[in-house]
Amino acid sequence: MAKDRNSTVVFWVFLTPVLFAFVMVIIIPFLLGVFYSFTDWSSSAGSGAGLKFVGLANFVQSFTDPAFIYSFIVTFIYTGINVIVLNVVALALALIVTSRLKFRNIYRVGFFVPNLIGGLILGYIWQFIFNNAIPALGGIFANPDNLVLSKSATSVAALVIVGTWQYAGYIMMIYIAAIESVPQELYEAAKIDGAVGFQRFIRITVPMIAQAFTITMFLTLVTSFKQFDVNVSLTAGGPSTMFMGKPIFATQLLALHIYDTAFAANHLAMAQARAVIFFLVLVIISTLQVRANKKREIEA
Amino acid sequence: MKQKRSAATLVLEALALILFLAYLIPFALILVNSSKDAFAVTANPMALPKDPGLIFKNMVSIWTNNNIAYPSSFLSSIIITVLSVVVLNLLCSQAAWVLVRTKTKFSQLVFLMFVGAMVIPFQIIMFPLLSWFREVTAITGIGLLRTRFGMIFAYLGFGLSLTVFMFHGFIKAIPYELEEAATIDGNGKFGVFYRIVFPLLSPIHATVIVLNGMWIWNDYLLPLLVLGKGNRVQTIPLAVANFAGAYVKQWDLMLTAIVMAIIPIIVLFLAAQRYIIKGIVAGSIK
Amino acid sequence: MKRILTLSLVLLGLAGLVFANGTQEGSTSKGSPIVLMQNKPEIGAALSAYGDAWSKTSGIPITIKSIGGTSNGLGQQLQADYAAGDMPDIFVIQGLQDYKQWQSILLDLSGQKWVDQTSVPFKDNGKVYGFPVSIEGWGLAYNADLLQKAGIDPKSLVDYGAYKAAFAKLDAMKSALGINAVVSMAASPGMSWVVTDHNFNSLLSNGLPYGDLSVVNALLAGNVDSSRLTQYANWVQLLFQYSDKAILTTGNYDAQVNAFATQKTVFLHQGNWVDPNLKTAGVTFKMGFAPHGSMNTPTDGIFVAAPSFYVVDKNSKDVAGAEQFLNDMVFTPAGQDFIVNKAGMIPAFKNIDLEPSGPLSKSVEQWMKAGKIYSWNQYYFSGDFRSQVLGPIYNQLATNQIDEAKFIQLMTDAFKNRKN
Repeated sequence: MAKDRNSTVVFWVFLTPVLFAFVMVIIIPFLLGVFYSFTDWSSSAGSGAGLKFVGLANFVQSFTDPAFIYSFIVTFIYTGINVIVLNVVALALALIVTSRLKFRNIYRVGFFVPNLIGGLILGYIWQFIFNNAIPALGGIFANPDNLVLSKSATSVAALVIVGTWQYAGYIMMIYIAAIESVPQELYEAAKIDGAVGFQRFIRITVPMIAQAFTITMFLTLVTSFKQFDVNVSLTAGGPSTMFMGKPIFATQLLALHIYDTAFAANHLAMAQARAVIFFLVLVIISTLQVRANKKREIEA
Repeated sequence: MKQKRSAATLVLEALALILFLAYLIPFALILVNSSKDAFAVTANPMALPKDPGLIFKNMVSIWTNNNIAYPSSFLSSIIITVLSVVVLNLLCSQAAWVLVRTKTKFSQLVFLMFVGAMVIPFQIIMFPLLSWFREVTAITGIGLLRTRFGMIFAYLGFGLSLTVFMFHGFIKAIPYELEEAATIDGNGKFGVFYRIVFPLLSPIHATVIVLNGMWIWNDYLLPLLVLGKGNRVQTIPLAVANFAGAYVKQWDLMLTAIVMAIIPIIVLFLAAQRYIIKGIVAGSIK
Repeated sequence: MKRILTLSLVLLGLAGLVFANGTQEGSTSKGSPIVLMQNKPEIGAALSAYGDAWSKTSGIPITIKSIGGTSNGLGQQLQADYAAGDMPDIFVIQGLQDYKQWQSILLDLSGQKWVDQTSVPFKDNGKVYGFPVSIEGWGLAYNADLLQKAGIDPKSLVDYGAYKAAFAKLDAMKSALGINAVVSMAASPGMSWVVTDHNFNSLLSNGLPYGDLSVVNALLAGNVDSSRLTQYANWVQLLFQYSDKAILTTGNYDAQVNAFATQKTVFLHQGNWVDPNLKTAGVTFKMGFAPHGSMNTPTDGIFVAAPSFYVVDKNSKDVAGAEQFLNDMVFTPAGQDFIVNKAGMIPAFKNIDLEPSGPLSKSVEQWMKAGKIYSWNQYYFSGDFRSQVLGPIYNQLATNQIDEAKFIQLMTDAFKNRKN
C-alpha cells in the first residue's frame, strides 16, 4: 500500500505545476473570455462604462454579418488547400533529406530556416516579392493588372504559397523523424522481393509513418485555420470583393477578422463571441480529423 | 544499371539544388537589402548594395541606440527563451510520464484537455489573460505583468499543450519492462523517472527544445501584451517592431535587426542539429 | 551522475526564475517616471531626446514610448494597457471617436496656460481636453518643375474642370516629362486610410467654411446630398483613372511617396508629414500643395487641422508633472525648438515664431496665413465604419470591379445603413 501512496504522491507532484499553469494561463482566461462574449464588454474608459449582459445578441449579429460568414468560407478554402499543399511539400522535402542525395544535410537546414523568421516579417518580405520583385521580371508580369495581390483568387494562392514556405520545414522535421524510424530490414526484404523504389514507398514507408500523418494533419489543420501573422502582413485582408451585396475584404481570414473586430471596430465583446464560434468549429473539425486518421492508423 | 542510376540521381540532385536555392531567395533579399540605406531599399530592392559594409554600420547603430535598447532586449530574449524551454522540457516530460503510466479516467481527461487547448484561438484569451493577471498581482503581490517571471509562466501555460502531447506519444513507446526492472533494482518512482525515462527521451527533448525555442524567440503578440511596449523588459521582436512606424518603415534598420535576430537561432540550430541527429538515430535503432 | 545533472538543471532553472523576478519592473509610486505614449515613431527619437533633457532641467523623470507598426497600433496598445492597469500618464487621441473611448479618464485641461495660445485645442462641452500636437495639412502635392515644363499654372487648379484638363494634358505628355503616371495615389487595403481618412474629407468639408459640419451631420443622419456625392465620385474616379495602377492597387506608403520623389508622377496624395521622407530621398525640385478639385465650383483651400492631441489620464500619479511637461513644450525655448526644428512639425501655438523647413510644411503655412483652409472631419465617423465599410468600396472602384454609378450607390447605402 505504501507503493500506491508513493505513486499517488509522485503523480500529483509531477502533474501539479503543469496543471496549475494550465488553469491559470489558459482555462481561467478562456472561461472569462466566454463570459465576456455574452456582454457588451470593451476595454476602454468611455462614458457610462459598465458591464451589461446582452445574452446571445453578439452571436446572432455575427451569424448575420456577411463579412463574418465570408471570412469563414475563405478560411475553410484556404485551410483545405493549405493542408494538402503543405503536407505534400513537407513530405517531398523529407524524402529528399532522407535520401542518398549529396548535400542533404545542408538541405535540411535550408528548408527549415524559413520557420526561423517570424510570420509578420515573412509576410512583408513576400509582399515585396509579389509587388515589386516579380513585376521586375518584365513581360506579362509587369502588367499591373496581373499583380498577384490585386485579385482575390490569386491572393488566396499567395497566402497558401507563403504559409507553405513558412511551415513546410517544421512539418518536414516530423516526417524525417518518422521516416528514419522505419526499420531498414523492411526495405532490404522488399528489395530482395524485387520491389521498385516507388512501390517500396507506397507499401512500406506510407503505412509505417501513418501515425505521423495524424500528428501532421492535426498540426497543419489547426495552424492553417488560425493563420494570422502572414495574413496581416501579406494582404492585410484585401483586396475587396462583393459578397451578399456588401463590399468586404477578400482575404480576411477568421483570426484577422476577429482581430479587426476587436481593435478596428472596438467591439471586444463581439470579437470574443466570434472567437468562441471559431473555437467550437475548430474543435469539431479537428476531432473529426483525428478520429478519421486514427481509424486509418489501426487499419494500416 | 549503374549508369542509369547516376543519370537519374544527377537529375534529382540538380532539381533538389534548384529547389534549395529558390527556397532561400527571400533570405538573400534580406541580406542584400540590410546593407542599403532606407531610400535605396525601397527604390531598387533587387540591386546589389553599393556599400556592403553598411550592414555592420547598421548593426552598430542599432546596438548603441538608446531608444531601442537592443542589447537588453537581446539579453531578455535569451533569458526568457532559455528558461521557458528548460521549464517546459522538465515539467512537461514529468507530467506526460505520470499521465501515460497512470491509467485512470482522470489522467485521460487531463491529457485530452491539454491537447484540446491547442485548438483555442489566442484571441479569446488575449484580453481576459491581461485582466486576470492583473487581478492576481493585485491580490497576491506576485508580479505577473511586465516581468520576466510572468512571461515565462505564460509561456509554460501556452507551450504545455504541444510539449506534453509530444512527450506523451514518445513515452508510450518506451517499454514498461525497463521501468519495472529499475523498480526491482530498488529505485523509487523519482529514481525511475530521472534515471531511466528522462535520458531515453533525448530525441524528443531535442525536437521540443528546437520547436519551443523557435516559437518563443520569434513570438510577438504574447510579449506585446504581457510585457507591453517600451517597458523595461522587452524581447527582440518587440524591439524590431519599433522600427516600423505607422506609415514609415525604416527598412534598412529593420532588416538589419532581423539579421541580428536570426544569427543566434541559426547558430543554435546548427549546434543542436548534431544532437538532434544523434537522438533521432538513437531512437530509430531502438 | 545523470541525476546530479538533472538536479542541477532544476536548481539552475529555479535560480534563474528567482533572478528573473528580481529585475521586476518598478511598480512603486515613488520615483516612477511619467509615461508619454504617442503614435509617431518618426519623431520618436527627437521626442525621447527632448524628454531626457526636460527631465534633467525639471527634475521629473519622463519616459517616451512610441508605438507604430500598424495603423491603429496606439489604440490597440492603450486597450491592452488599460486591461493591464498600466495606462500611460499622457497619451494621444485623434478626434471624437477616440475621445469617446477614453472620456471617463481624461483630465480637464481648460485652465492650462497654453490654452490661450492655440485656436485648435480639443474641446467637448466647452471644456478643453486635448493639447494639439501639431498642425498638419494636405491637398494635392505637386511637382512645380514638372508643371512648369507642361505649361500648367498650379494656381489654376481649383476645381474639377481645371484638373480634368490638366490631367489629360499631363497624361499625353508622359514620355516628354519622363513620368509613369500623373498621380501617385494608394487605395489598397493596407493603405485604405489615404482614401477613407483624407480623400473622404473632400466630400465632408471641401469648399465649406472652417468648422462647418452641415454635410457631416447630414451624412451621420443618413441623408445623402446626391449632387455633392456625384461631384465627389467624379473626382475620385478622375484621380483613380490617372493614378499609377500598381501603386493604386498594391503599393504601400514607401512606394507611393517614392514615385513622387523620383519624379515618376506629378502629383502625390499625401500631406506635409512626408517632408522627412522626401528629405531622405534627396529631393530638390520645387513643390507645393494645390486644392482638391472635388467640386465643379472652385474650392480654393487645402485641408489643415490639428489631427492629434495629447491628453492626460486624470488617475495619473503625477498630474502636476504631466501638466508641466505640456506647458514647457509651448513656453520654453527647448520645447519650441523640439516641435519645429527637431520634429519638423508646424506648431499649433501663436507664441511660437519658429517655422519648419520642409517645403510642404512651408506650403501649408502659406495657405494658413492666407486663411484658405478647410477642416478635417473624417473623425466624426468611427474607425470601423471608415476602414471596414468605406474602405472596400473605394478599393472596388480602384480595382475596376465596379463602375462609378455603382460606387455612388454603394456609398449612399453605406451612409443610409450605417450602424456605428
